[in-house]
Amino acid sequence: MKHRNAALAPVLQQRTDIWAANDLPDAAQPGIPSGHPALDAELPGGGWPVGELTEVLSDCHGHGEMSLLLPWMAAASRREGWLVWVTPPARPHLPALAAAGLHTSRLLVIDADRPAERVWALRQALESGACTGLAGWLNKADTAMLRRLQLAARATTLPLVLFRPLDDRHLPSPAGLRLLLSPGPEHALRVDILKRRGRPASEPLHLRTRAIHPPATPLPPVAIRSPRRPALTLIA
Amino acid sequence: MLWLALVFPEWPLQARFRTRDGTQALAVSQGQRVIALDAHALAQGVRVGQRLADALALAPDLIIRSRAPAAETAALKDAAGCALHFTPRVSLDHDALLLELSGSLKLFGGLDRLQRTLQRTLAAAGFESLTACAPTPRAARWLALGKPGQRVRHLAGLPDALAPLPLEVTGTGDAALLPLRDAGLRTLGEVMALPRRALTLRDAGPLLTLLDQALGRQPDLRIDHSAPHRLDSRVELPVPRQDSDVLLFAASRLFNAACARLAAAQSGIGECALELEHERQPPTVLTLRTGQPTRDPRMLASLTREHLARIALPAPVAALRLQATDWLLMPGRSRDLFGAQAPSLPETRAAASLLVERLRARLGHDAVHALSGSADPRPESAQRPVEPGTARPGQARPRRPLWLLTEPEALAERDGQPWRHGPLRCLEDSERIEAGWWDGLDTPSADEALRDYRIAIGPRQEVLWIYRDHRPPHRWYLHGVFG
Repeated sequence: MKHRNAALAPVLQQRTDIWAANDLPDAAQPGIPSGHPALDAELPGGGWPVGELTEVLSDCHGHGEMSLLLPWMAAASRREGWLVWVTPPARPHLPALAAAGLHTSRLLVIDADRPAERVWALRQALESGACTGLAGWLNKADTAMLRRLQLAARATTLPLVLFRPLDDRHLPSPAGLRLLLSPGPEHALRVDILKRRGRPASEPLHLRTRAIHPPATPLPPVAIRSPRRPALTLIA
Repeated sequence: MLWLALVFPEWPLQARFRTRDGTQALAVSQGQRVIALDAHALAQGVRVGQRLADALALAPDLIIRSRAPAAETAALKDAAGCALHFTPRVSLDHDALLLELSGSLKLFGGLDRLQRTLQRTLAAAGFESLTACAPTPRAARWLALGKPGQRVRHLAGLPDALAPLPLEVTGTGDAALLPLRDAGLRTLGEVMALPRRALTLRDAGPLLTLLDQALGRQPDLRIDHSAPHRLDSRVELPVPRQDSDVLLFAASRLFNAACARLAAAQSGIGECALELEHERQPPTVLTLRTGQPTRDPRMLASLTREHLARIALPAPVAALRLQATDWLLMPGRSRDLFGAQAPSLPETRAAASLLVERLRARLGHDAVHALSGSADPRPESAQRPVEPGTARPGQARPRRPLWLLTEPEALAERDGQPWRHGPLRCLEDSERIEAGWWDGLDTPSADEALRDYRIAIGPRQEVLWIYRDHRPPHRWYLHGVFG
């Protein structure tokens, strides 16, 4: 809780009958820390909301979108159960996931073509009680599908994160939290909170989600000399 | 001793139409005459003993099957399998089951609760039953036929209880009863009141033996039914149908019976075959795999639903058959001090493997996989799809991209710089990967890799993983994305 007027702050803290409009409401259940303190501060419940559908709208590729989820996923993978990714946009590269602390042997990758199948798979995973974390990529979704996912998520204590294309940001959505990702300055990831429980967010966040921090002015490529093949002598 | 008799009203019909859902008029015939019928047929005026032609004239949409003794035996054994869950002493008695319950009452919370649970279990498997209890098996059977619901706990009460029953409950056949009927005898009580000598003179010897057994004056030995440790049961549909709701309903009869039988053996199945038989075509076989041993009928039903949603049946289904040979022991689970059953580690594992099987049932086997690490330094070989649960952890490498392209994307080159929607600026460090040369030693092989990987920044500030191939024509490729 931050108050501009320092003298007012202790008074407000004592009074429980005064509600400050810039407070975020207490979530019914505390969220799961996202691993990015700046983001946690802006999320009701202080993290990824549990039992709730979270939408991540993004068209960018290579700005650390998935890395936003990795701290949570890595923590979730320490518990017994599946970490389910439904139709990721490319092949996950295991050494990078392992470097982020993810127990990769608990990762379950599901490939499904049609959006309805992806939604079905997510719901099955939610209802199975065998998952510790879920992420899905939906290129096309109607409100009924999202509503079903939202209902399935409510019955659990897991966050359900859904990646959707940027164009869908104008479509209505039952999701409790909607984040818009775009490239920010200096290789940061810009996060706009489109929707959350409580007062709307005004300012975007700039997060460094990746382990790679490129310098502001990268160097030109170095000419690469052709290496020689290892010398091998075969003795017949 | 406490014997519970289970009799099944209209048994030929129940055995033949286990999948009846109460919407059609059904009857079973023997030798051109109706011998069993359901309430719908009765309401339309059909009666037992009627000729088939008369019955059809009264109820044109009546579905008639001829009696099948083999199916009746098989169905009775299925019902006995369900009953084995409640006591090991179950014996078959023509078209009835006899259960000795004195050892099971405490475990199942008394006779009332046991009987309710038993009848519910049987109903879920498609059997409607009437019951009665008595200290001797024969008396229990007669009471169940003549006065369902009656319970006699002591031998001394038997003569009074049996007295009002008609002679027909003894099942000795009309020929044996005829001399007694001629003498004006109608009930067992009237027979018991006569001197034995008078009865023997009237050729009622066999009936007297039965009566003595029923009253506990002569031994009446029963052989316990021993069910085999495999499942093979079959139900027919009244009319061949194709809609999955009907098929699921019929399959649930099989699943419920099978799971009660498995519970009796404290076992579960990891795999079973559900055959959907068509009239003039080879059967469609659904293989249901649960991953972990189970005896939960809902689990099997939900797997069946996924299978049915995926396949197209070539023809309507006339009958369903469930087979499972490999039974796996499922140890029981204890409750904690406060009676709660928290999900244990094995349960989470069971749920995890069930999820995989359920997803595969609809999406296909290859659509669900885990990723296993490997020691191969080539990035494309660093992970491979494997069976979930068998994945090995991979080696952690920092400065690697999260996403890998399935096929490296060849990049254009302008002024010696890689180009993708604009110039790519490379970062300082590079990672050389030189691998796969052992595949072909002297002859360069296609899998051989000799690459210098760079982290590059694209025109939209995206961070990419590109490499320069050292084999001619020394092109740049995009291989990964730092997502």
